[in-house]
Amino acid sequence: MLKNITVSCSPHISKNMSTRSIMIDVIIALSPAMLAACYYFHSKAVIILATCIISALVTEWSCNLLQKRPNSLGDFSAVVTAIILALSLPPAFPFWAAIIGSVFAIGIGKMVFGGLGANIFNPAMVARAFLTASFGALMTTFTVPASIDQAMPQMSAANTTAITQATPLAWSKQAVKKQCDTTTVNDQLKASITGNIGGCLGETSVIALVIGGIYLLIKKTIDYLIPLSVMVSAALFALIFYWIDPQMYMSPIMHLTTGGMLLCAFFIATDPVTAPLTKKGKIIFGVGVGAMIMLVRTLGEYPEGVMYAILLMNAISPLIDRMCKRIPRGGKAPCQK
Amino acid sequence: MDVDIKGKMTFRGGAHPSQNKKLTEDKEILPGPAVKQLAVMLSQHIGAPCKPMVQKGDIVIAGQRIGESDAYVSAAVHSPVNGTVKEIALRSHPIQGRSLAIIIDVDTKAEINTPKKPALLSIKDFDADKYTSEQICNAISKAGLVGMGGAGFPTRVKLDPNPKQPKTSLIVNGCECEPYITCDYRMMVERADQILAGIELAKKASGCLEVFIGIEDNKPKAIEVMTEMLKKTPARQNIKIVPLKTKYPQGGERQLIKAVLGKNVPTGVIPPMIGVVVLNVATSAAIAEAVISNKPLTHRVVTVTGQPIANPGNFYVPIGTSVGDLIEFCGSVTEKSVKVLMGGPMMGIAIADLETPITKTTGAITLLNEEQIGIEKHKGHKTACIHCGRCLDVCPEHLNPTLLAHAVRKNMFDVAEQYYISACMECGCCSYICPANIELTGHIKTGKIYLAREKKRMPK
Repeated sequence: MLKNITVSCSPHISKNMSTRSIMIDVIIALSPAMLAACYYFHSKAVIILATCIISALVTEWSCNLLQKRPNSLGDFSAVVTAIILALSLPPAFPFWAAIIGSVFAIGIGKMVFGGLGANIFNPAMVARAFLTASFGALMTTFTVPASIDQAMPQMSAANTTAITQATPLAWSKQAVKKQCDTTTVNDQLKASITGNIGGCLGETSVIALVIGGIYLLIKKTIDYLIPLSVMVSAALFALIFYWIDPQMYMSPIMHLTTGGMLLCAFFIATDPVTAPLTKKGKIIFGVGVGAMIMLVRTLGEYPEGVMYAILLMNAISPLIDRMCKRIPRGGKAPCQK
Repeated sequence: MDVDIKGKMTFRGGAHPSQNKKLTEDKEILPGPAVKQLAVMLSQHIGAPCKPMVQKGDIVIAGQRIGESDAYVSAAVHSPVNGTVKEIALRSHPIQGRSLAIIIDVDTKAEINTPKKPALLSIKDFDADKYTSEQICNAISKAGLVGMGGAGFPTRVKLDPNPKQPKTSLIVNGCECEPYITCDYRMMVERADQILAGIELAKKASGCLEVFIGIEDNKPKAIEVMTEMLKKTPARQNIKIVPLKTKYPQGGERQLIKAVLGKNVPTGVIPPMIGVVVLNVATSAAIAEAVISNKPLTHRVVTVTGQPIANPGNFYVPIGTSVGDLIEFCGSVTEKSVKVLMGGPMMGIAIADLETPITKTTGAITLLNEEQIGIEKHKGHKTACIHCGRCLDVCPEHLNPTLLAHAVRKNMFDVAEQYYISACMECGCCSYICPANIELTGHIKTGKIYLAREKKRMPK
């Protein structure tokens, strides 16, 4: 007769999907952007990516050891954090500072909260904020891709050595201040689509990011609501300003294709841990992120606002969830009315 | 009279577990094993358990009533065989843990006890108008009919006409959305006529105006056979077959009503309270037997299936047959470790005791092999909740499973109640989809049990 009967709670089958498979999907989706970074920035990109990933894994492993937790390297979430951090660093960033950032992302951004699923803020963005505060100059020095032509507007006369160059966003910021026009920036669309432009490692190539984003959407790894609402709200915001003064502000398309907008929409804002759970909440979150990015870009002091937008919206995402409480299909129970 | 289908043939949420119905869907209903002993549970339904009407040593005959209750919400039990009452003892019950059962030693010599295929009901000159509503209701009550789809709500209580809340729609549930199970499907293919006769009687008894038969569109043969049968009799023209989208849990009462009638059943309300009756196809067939030939509910069709079973199939067995006997009948199991489920893999209950008897609500015995149990597989993949929200997307009741499970785990039962834990129907979609492999349904069930106990302890 039968021996060894297992007993457990229903259901007894589950979908063939795990946290690891989701993270691997994200890594696959990020690979076009990583390849583009390696293509345009050569060894600089490789070094930053490698140091970030290795130091993130080492940090997670040693934090687990210190906190007496089971080993959690197998879920690959540390790799995803490290890649996103690396892709949002400038190419010329020194590798030792990248290590500091990566250790901070995993150690302070994630593990002190209790590891995967418990962190309030996106670990990569926490580390980026930390690096911006600590190494401000390094974080805003953008090396040009090896093959760039010199048509790109120069940020200042001091940079004529052409080692560094202004990103389109930084240029537009200058344009606002100096009251000169941004049409030259708006002409850079073609360059920003392929990625042959100044900027952070993974933020330059629109094609690579869009390929990755579409892959995630097809695999249903991410909900389409967040990327859509981020982009729509940012585009609307930009459109209003562009409509007011096309001389001074960048066009909505330029805003969508430059800076961290796409990386944010597809990979950073969609981090499930720090985004709201409910569909309504996801839309509010996405709209908030998009509007916040544009607020910083157009009216704030900094040229780029992805980091601030994400961190601020992360902070209120539990509140958004509480606001968007789900009511059962059959309405509230009679005793709860 | 042509009836409009107001629903959209589907509901929101739900999951698509692999069907695995191929194992048994083409297997004809066959007689079950010849058993030596039966254990007829005194509580096989929702409501008050029956009191035994026989004593140790009594001789019982097939169809004799052996347990009944005075309570309105209850259903009598009958002896399926000729035999002697050995004792009245505790047996493992799939839901209640241990429960009283009447153990009957089967008289193996009696001809009536030899396992056979379900007798074909002669319904040649059947006319539902011959019976009054009361006659039908009484016959159903006498036969001890309960909903055979799983919950086991006494059929009489469902159908009884209530002047305050007249019943308008009768929905017959032929969805069988649970993977593996094919007993209802076989009933529809082989006994369509009997099912339709039962439906007519139920319609007459309840006074419903419109009748729908909901069948998932992955059972084209059942839809075809039922449609053919409907065409034969002009009196059945107002019965409408509704092909529904294949999705789990389409056969859930509330989901079925949403898909067919397009309306939501209010939380905490059962369908008869809004004038809708939902009957399983097996129950309909049993109604026909009970009313036309006065046969009590003593046998049912059970699907024995799963990869470890050598000869899976659909069997017509007396209620009270032990699970072990049935599994043995279907060939030796070679797997080292298995999971034995009463019901399908989504909502079925894993049992540890193979002596557990089949009850009126057991539609299937499903065995899962080692790989499907996935002990090893899950170990490495269990992580903390990553708040992906997939469980929210699949929840057919529009709840927040991850939050409910978390609240229960942290003993925050008031929070769980604020987020409508009681509206959960435990379909298991959330656990099924969860990438972190958290047993959300298990946590929610625990919370519901705890809250129910609290309420009992502290009446308002």
